[in-house]
Formats: sequence, structure tokens, C-alpha cells
Amino acid sequence: MLTLGPISFLQPWLLLGLAALPVLYWLIRATPPSPRNVRFPALRLLRDLQPQEETPARTPWWLLLLRLVLVGLIIIACASPVVNPAAGLPGSGPVLLLVDNGWSAGRDWPARQALLSRTIDAAERANRPLLAAATAADGPGPPPTVSGLMRPADARGWADQLAPRPWPGDRAALLAAITEMADLSGLETHWLSDGLDDPAAADLAQTLQRLGRLTVYLPEAGDVPLVLDTPQTEGADLVFSVRRPTEAVEDAGVVRLAGEDGGILARQPFTIAAESAGTDVRLSLPAEARNRVALATIEDLEGAGSVVLVDERWRRRPVAIVGAAPTDSSQPLLSETYYLDRALAPFAEVWYGGLDDLLERGPAVIIQPDSGQVTPDEGDRLDAFLAEGGVVLRFAGPLFAANPDALVPVPLRAGDRTLTGALSWTTPQPLAPFPPESPLAGLALPDDVLIERQVLAQPGPLVNARTWARLADGTPLVTAERRQTADGTDAGWLVLVHTTAGADWSNLPLSGLFVDMLRRIVALSAGVADTTDAVALRPLSTLDGFGRLGEAGAAAMPIAAGTFADTLASPTHPPGFYEAGETRRALNLSPAIGPLEPLALPPRVATEGYAIDAELDLLPLLLAAAMALAIIDLLASLALRGLLVVGAKRGATALLVALLLIPVLGDSSPAQAQGQSLSPENLALLAANGTYLAYVVTGDPEVDAISQAGLDGLSRVLTQRTAVEPEGALGVDPEYDELAFFSLLYWPITQDQPTPSADAFARLNDYLLQGGTILFDTRDAGIGRINEADLRRLTAGLDIPPLSPIAPDHVLTRAFYLLQTFPGRYADEALWVMDADETINDGVSPVIIGANDWAAAWAMDAVGNPQYTAVPGGEWQREMAFRFGVNLVMYVLTGNYKADQVHVPAILERLGQ
Amino acid sequence: MTAATLHGRAEALASTLPPLLVEAERVAAVVAQGVHGRRRVGTGESFWQFRRYEPGDPVQRIDWRQTAKRDQPFLRQLEWEAAQTVYLWRATDGGFRWRSTKSAPTKADRAGLLLLALASLLNSAGERVALLDGNSPPGLGRADLSRLAMDLQRTEAGDDSPAAALPPNRAVQAHSAMVLFSDWLAPLPAIEAALAAFQSKVEHGHLVQILDPAEVDLPYAGRIRFSGFHNESALTLARVDTIRQAYQERIAAQQEGLRALARAAGWQLHIHRTDQAPERALLSVFQALAGAGAV
Repeated sequence: MLTLGPISFLQPWLLLGLAALPVLYWLIRATPPSPRNVRFPALRLLRDLQPQEETPARTPWWLLLLRLVLVGLIIIACASPVVNPAAGLPGSGPVLLLVDNGWSAGRDWPARQALLSRTIDAAERANRPLLAAATAADGPGPPPTVSGLMRPADARGWADQLAPRPWPGDRAALLAAITEMADLSGLETHWLSDGLDDPAAADLAQTLQRLGRLTVYLPEAGDVPLVLDTPQTEGADLVFSVRRPTEAVEDAGVVRLAGEDGGILARQPFTIAAESAGTDVRLSLPAEARNRVALATIEDLEGAGSVVLVDERWRRRPVAIVGAAPTDSSQPLLSETYYLDRALAPFAEVWYGGLDDLLERGPAVIIQPDSGQVTPDEGDRLDAFLAEGGVVLRFAGPLFAANPDALVPVPLRAGDRTLTGALSWTTPQPLAPFPPESPLAGLALPDDVLIERQVLAQPGPLVNARTWARLADGTPLVTAERRQTADGTDAGWLVLVHTTAGADWSNLPLSGLFVDMLRRIVALSAGVADTTDAVALRPLSTLDGFGRLGEAGAAAMPIAAGTFADTLASPTHPPGFYEAGETRRALNLSPAIGPLEPLALPPRVATEGYAIDAELDLLPLLLAAAMALAIIDLLASLALRGLLVVGAKRGATALLVALLLIPVLGDSSPAQAQGQSLSPENLALLAANGTYLAYVVTGDPEVDAISQAGLDGLSRVLTQRTAVEPEGALGVDPEYDELAFFSLLYWPITQDQPTPSADAFARLNDYLLQGGTILFDTRDAGIGRINEADLRRLTAGLDIPPLSPIAPDHVLTRAFYLLQTFPGRYADEALWVMDADETINDGVSPVIIGANDWAAAWAMDAVGNPQYTAVPGGEWQREMAFRFGVNLVMYVLTGNYKADQVHVPAILERLGQ
Repeated sequence: MTAATLHGRAEALASTLPPLLVEAERVAAVVAQGVHGRRRVGTGESFWQFRRYEPGDPVQRIDWRQTAKRDQPFLRQLEWEAAQTVYLWRATDGGFRWRSTKSAPTKADRAGLLLLALASLLNSAGERVALLDGNSPPGLGRADLSRLAMDLQRTEAGDDSPAAALPPNRAVQAHSAMVLFSDWLAPLPAIEAALAAFQSKVEHGHLVQILDPAEVDLPYAGRIRFSGFHNESALTLARVDTIRQAYQERIAAQQEGLRALARAAGWQLHIHRTDQAPERALLSVFQALAGAGAV
């Protein structure tokens, strides 16, 4: 091998061919180019005419040079030059390839493969045999060990088959295997490590260092493996923690929750600060969506460590109501369970039955409506249930008041208190705002909820701390007690609502607050899925080393039901879903991963990174260059012989077209390229040349991206289904953009949006006056109307006419589709439009206000897949959301055109006569 | 070019000139009649004059309507109408179908265009036109013109041997006119021999020499291998630009010889280059045929 700077020649003796170039030069020079061929009718007249002098025809010098370069390139190419040749492997002993291929190797596996193949190449050139060892076992067989001596070709086969495994590696077993091997002196080791420490790591490194040279490859900064831990439930939120060995650089990613079908339910970006070992990622999503989560992953990060499988423990909330299911009785409104059932059904699984049966099925929450005394026996069992982490929710009522029992969070006075009636001086009480430490804090209080009767707590030291909700006069309405397990850790909650679950004592069950309160309380519970009758759980689907869920392999073993909770992921039990009958449990990898520490190596160990300058073989490049020169030579020869005249003009045109096409192809379509960066002039030019749907840029990149994707998605649906073919969506800022081009302005409300200036308000008022329509979307129907104040703030300067809830015969209900609901991502009923006034702007309401986060329901990615789940209705609700969007655009574009249909019956009748 | 489009282009070209009247001074009575009035009394269809009856005139000629209007009997006399026969021909050999650049027409194409334009003019003037190497007898009328165009198309795809560079020896009617299109690059004695066959029959003869500009100017330079069209051995010349002068002298000598030859036979020579407008050559032949300078 001959090395010249960064270039090495693998077949240097072929360079001797360069010596032949001068001979070639003389030969080419002596041979004149062929004459031009011309057919000529008057040939007879040309005969025996002698040109005055005949100079020897010579190949022009530039053609000569071209040909010499061509031949030179071919000769150099034949000598197999490579740039950045793999460093040689000096020495003669065997080379050991040691690869950490546990869960931690998935993140940059291709780099490891490249490094392996490069090392094998280098060993092959140095004629050294290879040994191979991987730290993770292939399956539930023998522990990992060292292979016998291999030739490079065999080693290549081994490296190709090697894959990361979804369980931790076992360096201790490998250390034992190496210690047992005899005569390993002169061993040179290349350790492709994952950069993580474990107890055997230092010993292993020392042993290998004793045997010979040791080179350890460590992941680059920012490339260390991340572990996504199983989530904790905090209220309605899921909290994941992301771990890594402490590093000096920042790392960022996105935690993504996906459903059973792979649909994305939520995404949450996170950043791990430099010098920190992890961070918590909080994902809050509606209970309906949370119940569908099956998989949590760190986006675009391969490896089993970044995947958490979510099973019933985090998802299903079976709620057991002690009592009979509400039947189709003639008076359902008198039954307490009817109200509970209606409130719970959207987000929880509701069971009915006797207490004993229900406890056996393992519910998360037991609700005891007003049912009289809890027998001491039942009380014991409920206590045990509470100690296991269950939630018991009790409601007061006439029977409860008359028969006090011990299972209450605070001592109660006997009897009940009536706040209204002929003999009472008090009036029905509204609720006071929830105490800030209460789990119910933050729920909106409707003014019209009034409590007429309640049971009263015995005043005492504990009452205040245990009160979650009060009446306006300060008496407790909801009290709760946290129970503890035998060893003193926190367990379940005992919650008492001091009024009825039916409408007898209050109108609370008739309000939306009742639903929200139940939702919060149910979210407190830890699911208690039990598998008492199953013997073992068999593997259903397992993760591979890259974190992909697939069919369970034959090697995965079932897990005994009793020990499932204590089982860690291992070659015998790879992480995945295990099932027994109806029950499905997830075995996650992260509990099997201990604390993450950077790999500690003994001194004087050579370390390198994985990033390598790839060896670049110049042979194909040189041959391609020679081929290009040959084509140029051919063209030049043809030109010299006059055969290129015809094609020249056409060829030049083609070349010109090709040059012009390159920038065109590189450019993306204007609709996508635009963002918030358009100047007002360009925006006007763009918007004037096509129909665009517009949204107000809020400054929150996430919300703006949703608006853009949503209106793009709506445009796509409009194009498919209707005669309206919008070009796409444009973001506008009322502060400086001209709005006259848009018939519809979508305005998502965010809390930190700046209030428009007086100028912008004037501009917006002008827009509304001239026939524009703004759809205000507070986007908070599912999360408690938190943006209403901001809506008020942002619209304070607008001339908004009187609004009313949309009438069933409003044009918007039949502009294209016949609709009576207008759902978006959420399905809230209320949609506010201007009172019908046909005289202004064709009856089109200048302002439409709702809270359903329509853009999120409309949002599609580039290939047309929806990006956010619609709750609670799923895809059907999304379809309805699109229909609302279609109707809305039709409505703003066509005005009261469809309103004429009210006269259709009359017209038809007249035609009939 | 199909026969129809060629015909169309020729008609367009011919429409720029008035109908061609071929001077026919000594047309025998045997010449068939045509619509071409001779401005004297004779057989024909158009009215010419009324003349007083003179003894000896056939009684059948008396125009009774005129006679009834006047005192004496009158005869009705018609204009004498007769037609000239014009033979047309163009060469079809390989060399004649050549062009130096794609942008110019071939010599044969230009000859075909001129030939048809001339035929069209003659036709509308009532003359009888025929292709010298065609199968149809001299004819009259539009249908005949179309047939001529198709005949021309047929010969275009026909013979391209060196013999096709000279007119064939066909029997022609006496006192006819003849227009021959070729590049006339064959040796002069051969041309003289070919034309000798028509000497006695042809009243007006016209040679039209059509040349490609490259044949006149020899615009080539450098080392060129010239090959001919008829199995001649190729000729490789270095530095063609140095013999341009000599070649142009030879072309001029050929044209001079041709002109002398034509003059001796009482014919006329017209020279046309394919980069010139075809109207120019057509006008030249038209004026010659109309007798402006001929005979």
C-alpha cells in the first residue's frame, strides 16, 4: 500500500502505467483526426483540383491533453486509491471485537456497524484473525461468550447478523468467559461500548488491558442512550421521567403517546439541561385520549430504552357503583345511579353489582351512593381496598343521614341540614371556590349550582385539612381522607360528598361541574387490574432492540401471574405485552435498567468516538470522471468532424432547460414555503392570486403550527369535496397585514397573545364591517374554559354585534352539509353567532365564537394523516369537524344563499299549482 | 411534401403572376382548340363580331335575330381559340435531390415548385401542359393540373440514377414549347446530345439551371472528404479553402458552355440558386415564354 497524504493506493504497481503516457502522447499526436465527410454533387468539377499546400493535419493540443488526462485517470483508478484509509492494525495477534449490544446500542447502531466493518477491513488488510463477543445474550440460552478465531469474511457475517437486544448486556458473564480462555496474549481489543457503567465494566477493561492493547469507543456527547421510565399518574396527567448518564451537553427530544392503532395522541417536547441526568415530562391529555394510550416513545430515537408500553394500570379506570344498573324505568331521573352513569360513561368503565362481586373484579374506584349503613364486614373489606390504593367515593342521602357509620373521612353529625323550606331561615347555598390544595382546584364554578340539603361534619382539627370543597357558608361539601398501607406509605382515598348523587338534595348532579369533579376524583385512583384466576401470562408482542413492537418470538417465555409485578425484562422475558385471557399487562424495560452512570475506565485506556471519517474509495469517482471526459472527447471529435452542427442548438437548449430546472426543483411550493416570514407585499401578492384561508399568528409556535396544518387540512378537504379550491393557509398579523384578501380569519386564543394595538383594532373593525368573518376559537372546551378571559381581552376593542347561541335553522347548519353540532377536537355545544340580520353583509355573522379547537381536528400532516385525536368521538367526530369547516367556508363565501331554501316548500307548492 | 401541399404552394406562387399567354405565331390548324382567344375570327365559343352576309357564306351561319333587326342578313362570327403545348421536365438524380443545409430546400424541391407554378399559370392561360417523362398526354383544365402534380410526385420517388440528370428522349408534338429543370452539371457533350433530340420539334426551349449556394460558393474549409452520389470514388482534399477560386472558375466555365450550347440550339438558359426567391426564376421563365425577349 502506497500512501500519499490522505490518499492510499491499494495496487500501487499499476501506477507504472503512467509511464506509458508519453508513448501515448506521440501516438495520438501522429494520428490526424478523421476528415469531415461531405457529399457533394459537383464532385466532377472538384476532381484533379490540387490544394496549394498540404500541411500535416494534427490533433489539436487541447484534445490531446483531454485524452492524456482521460487515460491518466483510468490508470490511477486502476491503482485503487482510497481517501482516509482505515488505520492499520499493527501487530500480529488476534483482534477481539467486543460490542455492547444491549438496549443502549439502538440509538446509533448504524455507526457501530460502520465501525465494525471498518475494523474488520483493517484486520483483513493486516492479515489478522478475529474474535468476536457481544455483551447481550441472543436469547434465553447460554450467557454471552467469546467466539472462536474467525477469518475476516466470517467476522463480517457475524457483524451483519449482530443486532441490538431489548435487554441489558451482561458484561460479568463475558468477563468470566474471557478469564477462562487460555493463551490470549497479544490480543488487541476494540470495545464498541455504550458509554454506560456497570459493576463489571472496570474489571473487564483491566483484564483486556492486561491481555494487550485496548481501544474503547464511546458515544459522542449528545448521543448517549436515553431511558424513558414508566409514567407516574398525577391527577389527570401522566408524568414520564427521561434519564441519561450525566453529560455536559444539552439533549432534547419529544415524548410521544400513541394509541393501539399507532395514531398519535399527544406530543410533548423536553430538554435535558447540560450537566443534568434527566428531566420530567408531563403530558396532560383528556381522560378519553389517555385511556387509549398504548405506547409512549421518545420520537426518532431508536432503542428499546426509549419505549414504554402502557397497559391497563395507566389506562382503564373501572368504576364500580354499588347498586343496580339504571334500568329503563319510567322515572330514571329519580335514580341516583342514573346521574352517576351519565357522568362517568364518557371516560370510565362503569360496573354495577354487589360490593363483594365488585371487589373481586378489581375496580379502581368504588362509588357508594346513598345506600344506608355499611356493615362492619363490608367496612373492613373497603378498608382493605383503600389500603391497596383504591378510591372509595360515598354520597350522602336520607338513608346515610339516618344511619351513620364509621367509614367516613371526617366525623359527622347525625341527621342532615336543610337549607331551604318553610321553617328555615337559610337559603340554598352556592359553592365557594375550591381550596387551592384541593384536587378539585381550578374547576369553574357555575353560578346556578345550589345545595339545598347536606350532612354536616363534626367540627374538629382534621376537618379543614380534609375538605376539598365548601359551600359559600364554609360548611364542607366534599371531604376526603388519604388512607395508608400497613407500612405507612400513601394509598387510596376515601371521599365523601355531603349531598346526594341524585337531584334530591341539590342540583349539583345536573351541572357540568359534577362531571368534572367525578373526572378529577376518578383520575386519583391507581388502576387495580387483577389476574387472580390466570396462572401465567404469555407473551403477545415484544420489542426488538430498536424499540419496535413486533410478534413475540418463540424464545420469549410466559410469566407466572403472581410474579409479574417483580419480573424484570431479560432475555427470557423480553419487554412487551403479555396476556392471559382478557388481561393484558406490559413488561417494560426501564425497571431493569439501574442508575445510569458514564463508563468509568482504568487509566491509560485509549478512547475514541464513533464518528469516523468514512473510508472513501476513489475508484468509482475516478472512473466516472474518466467516463465524463470520454463523452466530452466524443463530442469534441464529432464537432471537429462537423457532425455536431445539427444537434448543437438543440443540445444547448436542453442544457439551458436543465440548468433552469435545477432551482425550480429545489424550490418548494410557495404555500409551504410561506410562514410568518412573508412581507406584507408578498402576502398581498400571494393572497390576491388565489383563495387562501387565513389564521391570526399568535406568536406561540405550536399553536401557529396547528393553525397552519389545520387550515391546510381543511383546504384539502374543501378541494376534494366542494367547488371551493383554496390554495392553502396563510398566517396574518392584524398589526400590519392587509386583511381584505381573506373571507375567513381563524383566530385561536392563547393566554400570552399580546392585545392588538388600537391600529390593529381599527383594521379588524374595518375588516368586519366590510364583510369579513372571524372565527374565534378559545380551544378550551376540553380543559375547563381557561381562555375566556383572554378572549375578552383580545376582542375588547372590536365592534362585535349582539351574539346568541346558534339557532337550529341557522344557515351555518345547512350551507353544505346538514349539521346540528359543530365539534372540533372537543365536542362542545356552544357556538355563538350574530343575531340574524339579513340587512348587514348578506346575513353573514362577522364573528363566530366557539371553544372546540377546530384547527387541531383539521390538522393533517404532509400525507394526510390526522395529527390530534378528537375526543370523545374519535374519527367520526373529526369527520363532523371537517363538515363544520366546509359549512363555515361555504357560509362565509356564499352568504345567505342557502337561506333561500326556507322558501323552497313554498316555491314547490306554487309550481305544483 | 405531398402532392397536395406542393400543388398548393405552387398555386400560391403562380397566383402572383397574370395568366401566361404563350405567343403562338404559327399554330397549324391541326392544333387542338383551346380557350385561348387568338383575337381573330375562327372556330371557338366566344362571340367575336357580326359581319354582313356575302355571297358564298354558308346559309347556316346567318344570325337570324341580327338579320331581323336590320336591312341585310348578318353573319355571327366567333373568335378563333387555340392552345399551345408546353412540355415540362425536371431532373430527379441523387445529386439534384441534395441540399447543403437543412434550412434550404433541395434543388429538386425547388424545381418541382417552379415547375408546378409554371404549369398552373399555363393552365389558367388555357395552354396544354404535359410532363416530358409523364404517362399522360398534354391536357387542359384543373383536373389535368392535379394529375400533373401527382405525376410529378411519382417521379420524385423514382429514378435517381445519373441518367435522370438529363431529359429523356421522348416523342413530342411539333411546335411545342419546352422548359427543362436540372442542375446541368453533367459534361457539356452529354447535355448537347440529350437536347439534340428535341431540336426539330420544339419552338421555344428553356433550360433552367438550379444550383445550391454551396455548389456555387464552395464554402468549406479544412480537411474534407467529398463523396458523390453515383458510386464515384471519394475525394479527400486538405485545405479546401485554397481551391475555392479554381472551383468557382470551373462552375462559371460550365455555365458559359451551357449558355453557348443553348444559344446554338435557339434555346434560353435561366440560372437560379435555391437561396433566391422562387418568384424571381418564375418571372424570368414567364417573361421568356410570353415572348418578351424570346424568338
